[in-house]
Amino acid sequence: MHNIRSIISLIMLALLLAGCAGTQSRNTDPENDPWEGYNRKVYAFNEGMDKVVRPIAVGYDKIMPDPLQRGVGNFFRNLDAPVTYVNLVLQGKFRESADTFGRFLINSTVGLLGFFDVASRLGIPFYNEDLGQTMATWGYDDSRYLMLPLFGPSTFRDGTGRLADSFYHPVGRVIHGSNRWGLWIFRGIDTRARYLDQDSELQSAYDPYVLMRDVWMQNRQYQIYDGDPPMLDYDLYLEDDYSLEEPAASGGQ
Amino acid sequence: MKFRVLLILVFVSIFSNGLSAQAQADDPVSLIERITGQIFTDVTENLEEYTANPEALEDLVRNDLMPLLDINYSARLILGRAGRGLSKEKVDEFATCMTNLLINRYSKALLQFSSEIKIQVLPQRGDLNPKLTRVRTRVTLPNGGEAPVDYAFHKTPEGWKAFDLVIEGISYITTYRNQIMPEVQANGIDSVIERLNTGQMQLAE
Repeated sequence: MHNIRSIISLIMLALLLAGCAGTQSRNTDPENDPWEGYNRKVYAFNEGMDKVVRPIAVGYDKIMPDPLQRGVGNFFRNLDAPVTYVNLVLQGKFRESADTFGRFLINSTVGLLGFFDVASRLGIPFYNEDLGQTMATWGYDDSRYLMLPLFGPSTFRDGTGRLADSFYHPVGRVIHGSNRWGLWIFRGIDTRARYLDQDSELQSAYDPYVLMRDVWMQNRQYQIYDGDPPMLDYDLYLEDDYSLEEPAASGGQ
Repeated sequence: MKFRVLLILVFVSIFSNGLSAQAQADDPVSLIERITGQIFTDVTENLEEYTANPEALEDLVRNDLMPLLDINYSARLILGRAGRGLSKEKVDEFATCMTNLLINRYSKALLQFSSEIKIQVLPQRGDLNPKLTRVRTRVTLPNGGEAPVDYAFHKTPEGWKAFDLVIEGISYITTYRNQIMPEVQANGIDSVIERLNTGQMQLAE
């Protein structure tokens, strides 16, 4: 674990330095993404890596029958339960943490190591928490965007949280040796396969980097607020200057 | 993801058959609840007919959907400051080509998925704010998963109209605004309209 982790830190450090050395030609969101110059470099690096990863994910997606792929998704999701449990406790959500504990017990046993999500069928709700979300609920709610090598979109807060969470994640604590790496790589491919359908949209975007950032940041906010984020202030978006006297003119015929 | 196409579909279904709905209770939640049922019944019952003649479905979507969407308002929100100095006709043209794209995508999704998904409209929370009211729904997908889909409504002289779709916290307006506004500023509105019309830009996720 420490080997790979130090390799990743090295890559990140190298990219960080590269980012500092470069000039920041563009800054599309100075408030939330002050490191855009660096982030775009990492984004380009990840796109390069994707030239290798994507074909594998495509092949995986082709040979895996949907129900099996669903099972794999359930399996990995179940492995995250201890992390969610700890963070629910840290956020003082004790009823939810009890649910998560129950889920983990049931799915790991009756659900055959998590392949079957028996708990959901029993009506036990699913929660998703991590240290990044915990820190956000504690008041650290406006962290800057940070593109991570290999892992993709994050913030400084969430990247740090992710690293801390990984120290007690079941993969690594319970599963040892090369199995662990196999498992992480497997998960990476499985995760990549789940986003294949969105590739064409990303590619056709005017600025794919910004699209990924927007989608990720909004969805992250949604997670932090447990599905109930504050409403947008659409008034701020109306910056045009021709006067539309009455909205009656809109809506088509 | 097919998933997103599915959710977009829900959006369509909910706002179709709008004309018949206007005579009845017209608050956003009733509107959604009633129309959801109507459109799903219609498409499910006439699935073969619509499959054979997709243009009929497009017409249905176009006629019934449009009165319930405030597309021009959406277009103005998306254009933002890039809309400055544009004539109203240009903004209308932009809105129309967005509409055409949406109708096309919606109709296709409708044919593919209408029998497989379920929609639950959650009760209204708080008072109806004429400037901005959120209607929350939960969509049950074929794989058993649930996806949250919210709609932003405002009240116009013609009644309540929806102008934004928010899926899992991701606002359609915000996301496209951040793509289209800089593109219009860099290349001009005509180039963007051209790109939308030729299908080089996929509007719906």
